[in-house]
Amino acid sequence: MQMIKNFFKTFMLVELLKGMSVTGRYMFTRHITVEYPEERTPQSFRFRGLHAQRRYANGEERCIGCKLCEAVCPALAIKIEIAERDDGTRRTTLYDIDLTKCIFCGFCEESCPVDAIVETRVFEYHGETRGDLYYTKSMLLANGDRLEEQIAKDRAADAKYR
Amino acid sequence: MINIEIDGKLVETERGSTVMDAARKAGVHIPHFCYHKKLSIAANCRMCLVEVEKAPKPLPACATPAAEGMKVKTHSEMAVKAQKGVMEFLLINHPLDCPICDQGGECMLQDVAMGYGGVASRYAEEKREVQPKDVGALISTQEMTRCIQCTRCVRFGQEVADLMELGMAFRTEHAEIMTFVNSTVDSELSGNMIDLCPVGALTSKPFRYTARNWELSRRRSVSPHDGLGSNLAVHIKNNKVLRVTPVENEDINECWISDKDRFSYEGLNSAERLTKPMIKQDGKWQEVEWQAALEYVANGLRQVANGAGADQVAALATPHSTLEELYLLQKLMRGIGSDNIDFRLRQSDFSADGKLAGAPWLGMSVADINSRDRFLIVGSFLRKDHPLLAHRIRQAVKKGAQANIVHSSDDNLLMKIANKAIVAPGDMVSLLAQILKALADEMQASTQGVENVVVGNEAAAIAKSLAGGERAAVLLGNFAQQHPQAAQIAVLAEKIAALCGVKFGYLGEAANSVGGYLAGAVPGAKGMNAAQMLSSPRKAYVLLNVEPELDCANPQQAMAAMQAADLVVAMSAFKHKAVDYADVLLPIAPFTETSGTFVNTEGHAQSFKGAVKPLGEARPAWKVLRVLGNLLDVDGFDYDTSEAVRDEAVDTTNILGALDNHLDVALQAVSGAATQGLQRVADVPIYATDVLVRRAASLQQTRDAATPCVAMRGDELKKLGVKSGDTVKVTQGNASVRLAACADDGLPAGVARVAAGHAATAELGAMFGTITVQPITGERA
Repeated sequence: MQMIKNFFKTFMLVELLKGMSVTGRYMFTRHITVEYPEERTPQSFRFRGLHAQRRYANGEERCIGCKLCEAVCPALAIKIEIAERDDGTRRTTLYDIDLTKCIFCGFCEESCPVDAIVETRVFEYHGETRGDLYYTKSMLLANGDRLEEQIAKDRAADAKYR
Repeated sequence: MINIEIDGKLVETERGSTVMDAARKAGVHIPHFCYHKKLSIAANCRMCLVEVEKAPKPLPACATPAAEGMKVKTHSEMAVKAQKGVMEFLLINHPLDCPICDQGGECMLQDVAMGYGGVASRYAEEKREVQPKDVGALISTQEMTRCIQCTRCVRFGQEVADLMELGMAFRTEHAEIMTFVNSTVDSELSGNMIDLCPVGALTSKPFRYTARNWELSRRRSVSPHDGLGSNLAVHIKNNKVLRVTPVENEDINECWISDKDRFSYEGLNSAERLTKPMIKQDGKWQEVEWQAALEYVANGLRQVANGAGADQVAALATPHSTLEELYLLQKLMRGIGSDNIDFRLRQSDFSADGKLAGAPWLGMSVADINSRDRFLIVGSFLRKDHPLLAHRIRQAVKKGAQANIVHSSDDNLLMKIANKAIVAPGDMVSLLAQILKALADEMQASTQGVENVVVGNEAAAIAKSLAGGERAAVLLGNFAQQHPQAAQIAVLAEKIAALCGVKFGYLGEAANSVGGYLAGAVPGAKGMNAAQMLSSPRKAYVLLNVEPELDCANPQQAMAAMQAADLVVAMSAFKHKAVDYADVLLPIAPFTETSGTFVNTEGHAQSFKGAVKPLGEARPAWKVLRVLGNLLDVDGFDYDTSEAVRDEAVDTTNILGALDNHLDVALQAVSGAATQGLQRVADVPIYATDVLVRRAASLQQTRDAATPCVAMRGDELKKLGVKSGDTVKVTQGNASVRLAACADDGLPAGVARVAAGHAATAELGAMFGTITVQPITGERA
């Protein structure tokens, strides 16, 4: 009996029609492909992308060099050195994030007592060499300056859950 | 002994001890801040509240005496509720600025708050703020707002340092820890307050904002400074020493260290560090490879030894060098046929050489000092030379011991002095003879050798005090050891001690004052001692860690000898004045960068390993000496480890067997010949004792490191027509320097105290001797 069934299937193209029917069905449903870069998926305000260091409104950098982010970083991607600045405040003299090590877990921003280190919505960055992905303090502060508006909005949105 | 029950555990504890003591014995942790085992009970933080059965309220464990059958619950509902309540109160005024606090990560308040603190504060009112005060170069009180008024620092000052520099002013909400108006904290033990402070109110100024404690790795080490050999924890990060803290050793340093031990690490990172071997060619210094430098040294030494004779080669080392370094240096010298090796650079009387029964030492264990009831301390700037031994003596005095002082300067020793005799250096021997005579009379013993001595009142009082004790200690300080009649002083001390039924001891000047003898770094019968090597200049000198103008008894002579020498090999961790006269500079590693052994003044050999890698191309001195030995074809220089050197040098299991203070020197008739002119009394200021502390920046800013002045009695200054503060001309030998004059009525007549070991006085001559002080006339001072 089975043999007879298989015999007919071989020249009646049943499998082909089955497959084509799936294709046909999807041809008429709503498309879910996002045409990146012309189109983008929506992002959460908690999106964890490129890091930035923030400043206060008066231009003073927020980071106080407490080293909690360095301590909590599971990938050991952060390196900090600190010193007393001339005005007696505690500041970092070196704040490097190695983005080739970073796993974007967000622990650094979670541990920060002054919301200085944050992860932004930016995920489109690249480096042509390894060194390009080694972000220094000035690069991180520049990120912060550039993106502060969005960062502030995101913090505000997240505030009630913290 | 009584039995009490803590959290269901039965503990046996001593009668009179507290619940806290019993809990510590049982291994039960009770949170606390103000309690400290070495300090008195204050019970003012209230954190250690526990529930005691049948007591209506929780009781502070640190202040509640344990009673038979007592049942204590440290974690019951009542206890925890009380502890949480206290914690909430403590945190009301605490700024919670842990992220910028240097104590963060090692803070008792932080730790206890993790266990007993609330999630959020209910206190919404304004917090109090305390203005920071400047208390000196070592302790930062920048964030005094963090203080929780445990008063540990105040009690430390009252009970341990015995110099109450911090106190609590005002009351309740306004209570503040502060110094007296415009005063700084100058105690030589002040750094311990940083360790004691359970919060971040008192922090280390040199360490401020340099690292987090979780980044530091701790390596054990031993202090290279005074003779005590304090146990240290060296904290390092990225191959750099960032701070030093004590390691508890009840038999040696208890849980304290002196500021010298704590802050001298700054010298390790000094810009003056020598990092490459250098050779002087045609008057110019050139950096060379080790091989070239060592070959140059070997050739140079060989040339001098073959040409002028091996006895033209001399080696000087500091007693701050390790046992291994001293042993290899003497082995090298003897290997090339020279017996000229010495480490006793500041000693001026060597008449006891060859007559010593063993290596001079403390004569007792350090811990034994606490149990003595009579002290005779001869010639010691006790507080500054031996901060922690002074602390032990102070503790004994508080328990009722009588301290008797024979010295040439009446310093404030911060303890009750029973009797003191302050005499000019020249009269010290005769005064000790008087004490011996008086003591012999008191004991009805033979007074052989001192029959004709006339006993003065001071000596009689000291003798009476000594005779009245059960366990006396006769201790000779650095000044007595450096004295031109040191051997006579020692003989008299031995006789006095014998009459008291004890042995006398030396307060070891430096970390390896005992080890130097054990290593054999002293001249033999044919050799020259430190003084002879400099008074009859040699052609070649090997200097190990030495700065001759600061470390030697007679800097003038030392410098003249260095200038005249054909070859000076300076093995040093620092670029110092040797650049003027040396021919080769070999960078060697200081104590944190080498392994080694220090034998402390009680004969306790303590070995340590290097904490960090040597800076630049510096190398441990024992390795440098080993290679030099090989290059000079001396046998037996094939060591792989410093331990092998140590084991060859001494039998560490039986060091006490090699120690004996007895000296076979005859007591000379005491001559009453008065010395002519003004006599110099030279102390080595506490922060000028060795190469490392001289370069410790923060220590050099303290009051103890101020430029020395010429101290004389007020009436003698007046006779000269000089006021305190005026600049005067001080002349000794062929040089004079200008120093400020200051009045010190504690000095004996005919004496001027001019410190040694300081750049400002380095041009002067011997530490003892005649000195002239003249007012500067004809020009504005």
